[in-house]
Amino acid sequence: MAENNKKRPVHLDLLHIRLPVGGVVSILHRVTGVALVLSLPAAIYLLRESLLDPEGYGRVSALLQSLPMRILLYLLLLAVGHHFFAGIRHLLLDLDIGISRSGSRRGAWLVLAAVAMITVSGLFVIW
Amino acid sequence: MLRHSGSAHRGLGEWLVQRVSALYLAAFTVWLTLRLILGWPTDYAAWRAWLGGGSVRLAFGMFFLSVALHAWVGMRSVFLDYLKPAWLRFTLQVLTAGGLLALLLWAAEILLIEARP
Repeated sequence: MAENNKKRPVHLDLLHIRLPVGGVVSILHRVTGVALVLSLPAAIYLLRESLLDPEGYGRVSALLQSLPMRILLYLLLLAVGHHFFAGIRHLLLDLDIGISRSGSRRGAWLVLAAVAMITVSGLFVIW
Repeated sequence: MLRHSGSAHRGLGEWLVQRVSALYLAAFTVWLTLRLILGWPTDYAAWRAWLGGGSVRLAFGMFFLSVALHAWVGMRSVFLDYLKPAWLRFTLQVLTAGGLLALLLWAAEILLIEARP
């Protein structure tokens, strides 16, 4: 037990791990989570600008409709979408739903399918 | 029981905070998406009127609180799992905690002052 504990990979080498689909969903959950945290300051700044006065609202509105920002918003939508569905999968796993080997794999594919749907339908919303 | 296993997921408190905040964030996301589809305020007056509402400001306030708590637990897990040097973990955790707290206070100020009708 103690020996085993010493050998367990505390520091994961990301470049040498071949991930199953559940692992892909899980690592994307972390990547999107970090990305969303990093987007917070800009989001709060834009919220403030949009509330200050009509000019500020106009500036934010024009900025969000520019092409680079629409692409960024699209990526943000994908990040929220993935984090949302993968998060729900984690909550269901807590309740022992989809915890079996095959169930967990199916759940992971369902998450990826939902994200694929957002990826396509999001294109229409953004444009 | 192993108390300091070095795992990113120790502590029932953090586990619970992550789940409860996740539930609120999920509900908020669904609500905001429906709002976006069913009718989003499209000019400054409507935007101010909507965000000036007490329940909307409360919902946003709880959103920012949930985000800060959820981000703290999540970022901490990421640091503990992928960063080995203790000083680096510590530095990033302090920066994250300070940054999230600052963002939370900023959001609170916006909701209490700028968004006031």
